[in-house]
Amino acid sequence: VPSFLHNLAVHGPDFFAILLGAAMNTVIVTAGGLLAALVLGLVVALPLLSKRRWIRGIARTYVEIFRGTPVLTQLFILYFGLPELGIELTPVSAAVLGFGLNGAAYLAEVYRAGILAINKGQMEAALSVGMRPTEGMRYIVLPQAVRIVVPPLTNYAVSLLKDSAIVSAIAVPEIMFRARQLVTETYLSLEIYVVAAALYLLMSLPLIRLARRFEGARQAWQ
Amino acid sequence: MRELIAFFAAYQDHIGAWLPEMLAAVLGTLKLTALSFMLALAIGLALAIMRLSRFGSLKAAAGLYIETIRGTPPLVILAILYFGLPSLNVSWLVLSSFTAAVLGLGLHGGAFTAEIFRAGIQALHKGQREAALATGMTPGQAMRWILLPQAVLIVVPPLGNFLIGLLKDTAICSIIAAPDLMLRAKDLSSTYFMPMHLYVLAAALYLVMSYPLSVLVRRLERKLSRGRA
Repeated sequence: VPSFLHNLAVHGPDFFAILLGAAMNTVIVTAGGLLAALVLGLVVALPLLSKRRWIRGIARTYVEIFRGTPVLTQLFILYFGLPELGIELTPVSAAVLGFGLNGAAYLAEVYRAGILAINKGQMEAALSVGMRPTEGMRYIVLPQAVRIVVPPLTNYAVSLLKDSAIVSAIAVPEIMFRARQLVTETYLSLEIYVVAAALYLLMSLPLIRLARRFEGARQAWQ
Repeated sequence: MRELIAFFAAYQDHIGAWLPEMLAAVLGTLKLTALSFMLALAIGLALAIMRLSRFGSLKAAAGLYIETIRGTPPLVILAILYFGLPSLNVSWLVLSSFTAAVLGLGLHGGAFTAEIFRAGIQALHKGQREAALATGMTPGQAMRWILLPQAVLIVVPPLGNFLIGLLKDTAICSIIAAPDLMLRAKDLSSTYFMPMHLYVLAAALYLVMSYPLSVLVRRLERKLSRGRA
């Protein structure tokens, strides 16, 4: 243990600096995956709300398949599997696509709940006091929907940031990937992974705080 | 369409060799899930009780644990346990990949089940216990017949969802070479050079495990919320 602490004090700052450089790719994968999931989630949410049963069925099947299987399996299918069919993706694009497809299944449910939670009477009331439909949407419906949807979205962003560590397994040069390389160079495995954990904490704690504040704001509002 | 048929036809030649191996690996995944679930329940319960205790230091320690673990990816925890601990040169800290996986997922999951338990305990109104005592029940009877049944109703559906998440999270244990479904799929695909077929098969097996669970949890959720509304 003393030698561990000594090594941590001596090499920790260097490790931190190196891993911080790799954190750029963690941010790219997280932000890219989040953006893709936000957009694709909307694409899946609309058919989930359709009046036609078979359209709902297709969207529901998508959601069940992507929520019922591990993200890691989905990433492996995209990165290691697709080349078997002649389609090659770069590690980063496979990661962003994988998290986008996976996240869409989760966010579609979030959107659906947000839209369903707004009573139809809200829009009718807005129209009856003389607002135009776009005004009713802008000033009455959307502000309420955003309040409902934002806390789960922030929570999702936190879990995505943490999940992004697994893309080291498909060779995206992010924090965990660099950490493993450093271990093979220096053999200081415990020191390096502890520094990696600290770096993830540093990135995720502000997001967790933010999520909690949104959660509190929603409860106060309700 | 033709490619799709050809793709699935290829399973015919290999499924006899793959399926027994993959099913054996399913057993590993289930074992990993069950053990780490139990560990997470025990840790979570202890943390929840600490968090609700009157002692400030216990409360703070549990809070710190939950906060730290929630912000750390499970893969990092697995790496610390499996790759990191042996560098301390203490023989009993050299863990097998399976032990490290169970321990890591349990330690990580405990932070999440703790919040579930805490919500369950806090949701019970103090008046429930007082009313039970006022009707002449002993404190033990009040716990058994009034408090626990209500707490279980609140806690079971989120625990079910946690279990489903855990089942899927076990896939990352393959990265530290714990014997699970993903590891076997990876091994087989390096022998047969058919990664797409094998990972799709793995996904199907995960779905077969998780889908019945999620149907069950949803049914439970609906049934229990009917009783409370």
